[in-house]
Amino acid sequence: MSFWELIASMLGQGLVITLLTTVLAAVLALVLGFVAGLMRLSKNKFIRFLVAIYVEVFRGTSLLVQLFWIYFVLPMFGITMTAMTAAVLAIGLNFGAYTSEVVRSGIQSVDKGQIEATIALNFTRVQRMRRIIIPQAFIIMLPNLGNQLIELFKSTSLVALITLTDLTYQANVLNATTLQTTQIFTALLVIYFVIAWPMTKGMKLLERKMTEGRM
Amino acid sequence: MSEPIVKYNNVTKYFDDLMVLDGIDFEIQPGEKVALVGPSGSGKTTFARLLMTLEEITDGTIEVAGDYLWHEKDENGDLKPASTDHLRKVRSNIGMVFQHFHLFPHMTVLENIIEAPVTVKGVDKKEAIKDGKEMLDKVGLLDKADNYPAQLSGGQKQRVAIARALVMKPKVLIFDEPTSALDPELIGEVLDVIKDIAEEGETSMLLITHEMDFAREVADRIAFFDAGKIVEDGPPSEILYHPKSPRLKEFLERFMSTQASPE
Amino acid sequence: MWDWYYAFEVLPEIASALGVTIGATVVGFILALILGLIWTLLIRSKNKIVTTVADSIVKFIRNTPLLVQLYFIFYVFPQFGLSLDPFTAGVIGLGLHYSTYLSEVFRSGIESVGPGQWEVATALNFTTKKTWTRIILPQAIPPVLPVIGNYFITMFKETPLLSAITLVEILQTAQNIGAGTFRYTEPLTIVGLLFLLLSYPASIALRQLENRVTARYS
Repeated sequence: MSFWELIASMLGQGLVITLLTTVLAAVLALVLGFVAGLMRLSKNKFIRFLVAIYVEVFRGTSLLVQLFWIYFVLPMFGITMTAMTAAVLAIGLNFGAYTSEVVRSGIQSVDKGQIEATIALNFTRVQRMRRIIIPQAFIIMLPNLGNQLIELFKSTSLVALITLTDLTYQANVLNATTLQTTQIFTALLVIYFVIAWPMTKGMKLLERKMTEGRM
Repeated sequence: MSEPIVKYNNVTKYFDDLMVLDGIDFEIQPGEKVALVGPSGSGKTTFARLLMTLEEITDGTIEVAGDYLWHEKDENGDLKPASTDHLRKVRSNIGMVFQHFHLFPHMTVLENIIEAPVTVKGVDKKEAIKDGKEMLDKVGLLDKADNYPAQLSGGQKQRVAIARALVMKPKVLIFDEPTSALDPELIGEVLDVIKDIAEEGETSMLLITHEMDFAREVADRIAFFDAGKIVEDGPPSEILYHPKSPRLKEFLERFMSTQASPE
Repeated sequence: MWDWYYAFEVLPEIASALGVTIGATVVGFILALILGLIWTLLIRSKNKIVTTVADSIVKFIRNTPLLVQLYFIFYVFPQFGLSLDPFTAGVIGLGLHYSTYLSEVFRSGIESVGPGQWEVATALNFTTKKTWTRIILPQAIPPVLPVIGNYFITMFKETPLLSAITLVEILQTAQNIGAGTFRYTEPLTIVGLLFLLLSYPASIALRQLENRVTARYS
């Protein structure tokens, strides 16, 4: 096969899975990250403790180990799932733990005077969070969230190791059938780069747009 | 005289082991303008921050418009710590303007002003915009309505902060050193706005300030704080020109020597 | 569900593979530090072409997955006559990948040293080399030490990827055991626990270092 045919073949088979895994896992990570990050700031010690365990376990062990554990060990306890579900769950849980730290430190770095202003204007705690703190914290978090999205996208290549047919998996299959090793893995690197690079640029642009004139 | 709008009863405040307010009794009448002066660390800022509920009271009670601020009565009529709802209800009488403005940086000037009426009070947005623009006009910043705070000068920021506090129609408005963070040439515009509000007369004011001329002009009464106590309290003419206590005399002398009056 | 006897039986075998995991981390990290510093210096070069090329390589490596880079080194290099054993290929992959992150850290450290320090060095007639080794780097590195440490831990947790290029580190060992006995629960859980046991105390220690550094430098 020619170089372009190889690329076309990989894209045709694996691109959708790679992108779908990225999007689903990113949404899960963002939701988990916000929920866990806010819970970590709770007044309730027990809630803080529970979240700390989640965060430390998923940050302290390796993503690939988590992926294998969810895919190979959970079925032993009667919990079976498709490779896709396992992939989204593992990546989402893993990045959710990191995101929660981003969320927590983002919220904590909002100027304390903002809290005083909302007390003086008689906001409730929920109103304060929703209207004043989170919108400002989000802008502070954006660069970190952007970096995490790129890292998450790159990490989806691991799902090939639990037989999910993403770009990397397809490359391995092609490699086994055509033996055009050099072209295949070069093409694979280029494909990832061509997706990740605009993502990096896009996040930077979004960042600039959101801070324009305001901060 | 009518019922006081604010009444401090034997209010004490500790930060850990450090006593900053020592059993203070104090009253503010409706519409009264009170200036708080004194050396830094004398307790005047803490005194005001307790009223805004930015610091927790250690002992004693504060009454606002006839209700306890930090307490409420249980079924036996005894005082217990106030619930969040009770605290918010009583707190709605108080507003504050901060030294460092604390505008919401992610909102335009107009959004800053309508945010609390709409979110906290549930005022209809159209009406809030109308009121907000009127208030902006009053502080002379209607043309800045769509700017973000970062695009304003310090004096303009503080005028927006004043407008933001005023649209909530507080019965008592606290000014915590409103011009201390400003460049000298911007102080005048802010003081003028405060004077205008003072002349309207309805709102009681608690002014923490180092501007003695301004205090004399605006305040009905000046309270001098020293070491957690109100040492002297009276009309400006007495406090500034006929001080009784040696501490106040010393304070005024030092003050006059470092800050020659322009008049 | 969980067999303690089996767990204790497989524990020594898995733990013995820790040597490979830690070895790959340490060697990979040293490589990353050296390469990272080289990228930083090349990107700061006055020669536009050198800057552009180095910057492009760093961007390319940063924006592609480590796993694919490992495949590339392990499967493509031999096509050009450069056959590497899994450990060497793995260490090069880790080192290369993380060098791009460390280069960024070095850059921010160097940029945090004010221009005045360069001017002082010139005024005192330091050579370029002495300016770097005596003035700039001693100020640039300590504040970013916690971040560098963090990357060390991150890299440690990425070593299981080397199992994909057949390196028998702890994850691969656990899988081999699992494949033989059809029991993955205990081996995989042990691997997870080992990572947690090593990385968690390390990150606690780093947080303390970070507090000390913040107290001293800001």
